[in-house]
Amino acid sequence: MSYLTDNREDMQHLLMGNEAIARGALEAGVNVASGYPGTPSSEIIESLAKVAKERNLYVEWSANEKVAMEVAAAASFAKLRSLCAMKQVGVNVASDFLLHLGLCGTRGGMVLVTCDDPGALSSTNEGPSRHYAQMFEIPLLEPGDFQEAKDMTKWAFELSEAIKSVVMVRSVTRVSHASGNVRLGALAETERHAEFRYDGSPLSADEGPAESVPVGQKHRLQQEKLQMATQLFEESPFNTYQGPEKPELLIITASAGNLYTREAISLLGAEDRVGLLKLGTTWPLPSRLLKRYLAATDKIMFVEEVLPFLEENVKILAAEKAREVGVKTFYGKNEGTMPKTGELNPDIIVSALCKILKIDYLTIDPDYEQKLQMPPIAGVPERARTFCPGCPHRASFWSIHNALQMDNRRGFVCGDIGCYAMGRFPCGFNTTKTLHAMGSGAGLASGFGKLAQFGMNQPVLAVCGDSTFFHAAIPALVNAVHHNSNITLVVLDNSGTAMTGFQPHPGLTINAMGDEAQEIDITKVCEAIGAKVETRDPFDLEETQTTLNRLIEDGQGVKVLILRQECALSPEKKHTKQYDMQIDENLCLGEDCGCNRLCTRIFQCPGLVWDKEKNKARIDEVLCVGCGVCSLICPAGAIERKEVA
Amino acid sequence: MGGKDKIRGQEELQRVVLNRNLCTGCGACINLCPYFKSYRGNTTILFPCTLVQGRCFAYCPKVEVDLDDLSQKFFGRPYNCDPLGPYQTIMISRAGKKIKRAGFQAGGTVSAIIYFALRKGYVDGAVLTDRDGLLPVPRFVTNPEDVFTCVSSKYSAAPTLSALNQGIRDGFKQIGIVATPCQVLATVLMRSNPLEDLNFVDPTGLVVGLFCTWALDFRGFEGYLSERIDTERIAKIDIPPPPAEAMEVYMEKEENMEIPLDEIRQLVPDGCSYCIDMTAEFSDISVGALEGYPDMNTLIIRTERGRKIVHEARKEGYLIVSDIPKVNLEHLKWAAGNKKRRALTKVKQERIVNTLEEDKASYLRLNTATLEGITA
Repeated sequence: MSYLTDNREDMQHLLMGNEAIARGALEAGVNVASGYPGTPSSEIIESLAKVAKERNLYVEWSANEKVAMEVAAAASFAKLRSLCAMKQVGVNVASDFLLHLGLCGTRGGMVLVTCDDPGALSSTNEGPSRHYAQMFEIPLLEPGDFQEAKDMTKWAFELSEAIKSVVMVRSVTRVSHASGNVRLGALAETERHAEFRYDGSPLSADEGPAESVPVGQKHRLQQEKLQMATQLFEESPFNTYQGPEKPELLIITASAGNLYTREAISLLGAEDRVGLLKLGTTWPLPSRLLKRYLAATDKIMFVEEVLPFLEENVKILAAEKAREVGVKTFYGKNEGTMPKTGELNPDIIVSALCKILKIDYLTIDPDYEQKLQMPPIAGVPERARTFCPGCPHRASFWSIHNALQMDNRRGFVCGDIGCYAMGRFPCGFNTTKTLHAMGSGAGLASGFGKLAQFGMNQPVLAVCGDSTFFHAAIPALVNAVHHNSNITLVVLDNSGTAMTGFQPHPGLTINAMGDEAQEIDITKVCEAIGAKVETRDPFDLEETQTTLNRLIEDGQGVKVLILRQECALSPEKKHTKQYDMQIDENLCLGEDCGCNRLCTRIFQCPGLVWDKEKNKARIDEVLCVGCGVCSLICPAGAIERKEVA
Repeated sequence: MGGKDKIRGQEELQRVVLNRNLCTGCGACINLCPYFKSYRGNTTILFPCTLVQGRCFAYCPKVEVDLDDLSQKFFGRPYNCDPLGPYQTIMISRAGKKIKRAGFQAGGTVSAIIYFALRKGYVDGAVLTDRDGLLPVPRFVTNPEDVFTCVSSKYSAAPTLSALNQGIRDGFKQIGIVATPCQVLATVLMRSNPLEDLNFVDPTGLVVGLFCTWALDFRGFEGYLSERIDTERIAKIDIPPPPAEAMEVYMEKEENMEIPLDEIRQLVPDGCSYCIDMTAEFSDISVGALEGYPDMNTLIIRTERGRKIVHEARKEGYLIVSDIPKVNLEHLKWAAGNKKRRALTKVKQERIVNTLEEDKASYLRLNTATLEGITA
């Protein structure tokens, strides 16, 4: 039985953190859920979408995170419970609204789930989102394991309704994407009626207009809500302590830090020496509780990822209460015990504990460490980041790269967020030269395209995917057209939000719940904005490159080239093969002058293999998806494609 | 060190030719492999090639050109001071009665000879330069009638030899080529089998060289013209012999335009200033304008196969020839000698001739007596 619908109390399921969060929302009786796909957050909305019909939810993949938060807030204003999920960078996008929402307050319980990515495992940054809770004065909860991911999410709705504020639940990759046993609670069976009431006083929590004004009163009200939250946090079961009454060292941690620290203490057998204070409510801090534990020891260590959020706030508290708790020695990021960047792991904490507690322990077996230093075991293939076999981006970047090289004026491409961010790697022929936030490629291009006045004569291109186009590229395109910036925007339209798992977007005819939806035509949008628009199939290399060269040569205004070809992994395309591919070994030039392994050395589709013994290229039948593009690049015509009947 | 040992690959070619702006976009490296492309007159490299030796380097007329070696191989003597290169005879010529076409730059000699050679099977295809608007476009023709779509000078650099490479790949064995001096030099490098391929057979049937003092950078030339006229409506471009000192642009309907040569010379790529060859010294025959006779050409016959084809063409009425006036010959020698002296002085100053350092490629190599004789 699916964990989403299992209503047998106390049943245990092995759940991913994100699934636990979704289950928690269902147990809280969430009505509306919205988000924008982004690793490691995507499974939350996907899970809820699966049971939308059955549980009478409204679930959507919004155009971007700001809209997602607005959609969720609207539900809250209408007294429904709502959840909004995004990755850490999404909070930046939504932050303008979040600031106002914090001031305005909410009605039905509203939870913002943000999934951070310490170590940037699947991001272009490891930016923190926790500081938003402090900066925008809203409560912050951080689950320290999988059970808590569910329980805390459920409780976050109650907290939100109790204090009339949006509540932020912050997860990280190792909580969202790891799995653990979760004991289920009952699914909520309440029916809520949606109504937005606006006739009351502007200060009325449930009856007035939903506004952040009058700011003075609203801001004071907001701070009172935080004080209420502090009171509730003092007694919260999500703040736990394990260890001796008077530990030699007190570790204060939260989130995945809890899992790493528990493992480290257990590895060292230091349970009698170290106390572990795991906080679930990390903003505002429960000061009475903290004071109690701070007083119990002189040495305090902080375990948290990336920036020292807990560390700095606890230190302020310790300074304020110094007379009562005494002078402390702190171990954390500011004095260098813990790294300020990247993910933590148990080894880092073991090393720190060994140093502080003077324990002799080898975190890595010297034998193993020596093996790690050895050259890779023979036969282990190098695994560079690359596009999938048959990926349209490889074909697109091939043409973009070649068009720019031929143009020979040091033109460049502003990159953007999606699989095609790998355009900067050899798999994309090192074509993109900038990479920032979603939509920033088009925005940067808009700026570069105005620099002719200062002597810049390099052609300026930008790329963006179809989902990114809707997310944030449209305003940049509007800007570029309005200011007559001389650029070419290439929309890499692979018909889906491919990188995060084919979530629907406004360009498609289906929504998150599987219902038919009105698709927005990218061509018409660009034309309406005033750009010159052309569409090509990126698998037609010659036509694409010729078109690009013509557009680049056209020095006037904004040109948009839509390169449309479905992602090789899309559910519709997967397992279908357009061509049977074969290599004629008599024609293959191999390493000879005239080719020098263009297909396996430069084009590098994983479906092509270099046979060292024969000195010939070979098709990997298992990996090749039969897109046929490599037959177009072979200078000897040795790669043959035959249409699959 | 033998000739083959001096040959390197793409990386070195980029360093010593492209990065030094020596490239004239002749097209010798295009269509040999997927790495070199020509776009709007520019030769560019798409991707790095790691081979230590390549045909791109071996055929390039701007690196490791051993003039003595080539001269010895094709004319049986070392390179000497003669400003016109080795030749049998020099005469003047124009298309004969059998050619009923017009629109030639001068006497129509080149078109007539190529037309004749194709018709009579002296060549099985011809490498010519057509144009698309202002852009010169290499063409490989097999139908004699197609010769007449490619008439008239283009004045900007064209990767004509890319069509030669394509013709060779397509299996043609006796190719006729109409080419500028740098292109003829690249062709003779290719014909010398520099990589010592055991299966090599000379794929050319006739190499016709065109007199050339420089060609224009296409982008610059197009930019210059399109700021002033509608380039789509150009009928013909001509540079009349001195003392005119101007380029004439004839329009389809609009008023013709005259551009002072001083302005045009600004658009000449650096690569041309290193060229020592005005009359395509390694051709079978070379053809150019004739001062004072706008409907005639100067015709230099250098090789036996060139002589034979001219002889037959004349016999069958495709070509009319007569003696060259002495004053014209003297002036031609004077002009060609000037170009040679200027360029050799420059390459000497820049130390890219007879370079001795093991790891440094030289642009030219030739015997000291000739080098000093010309630059004295």
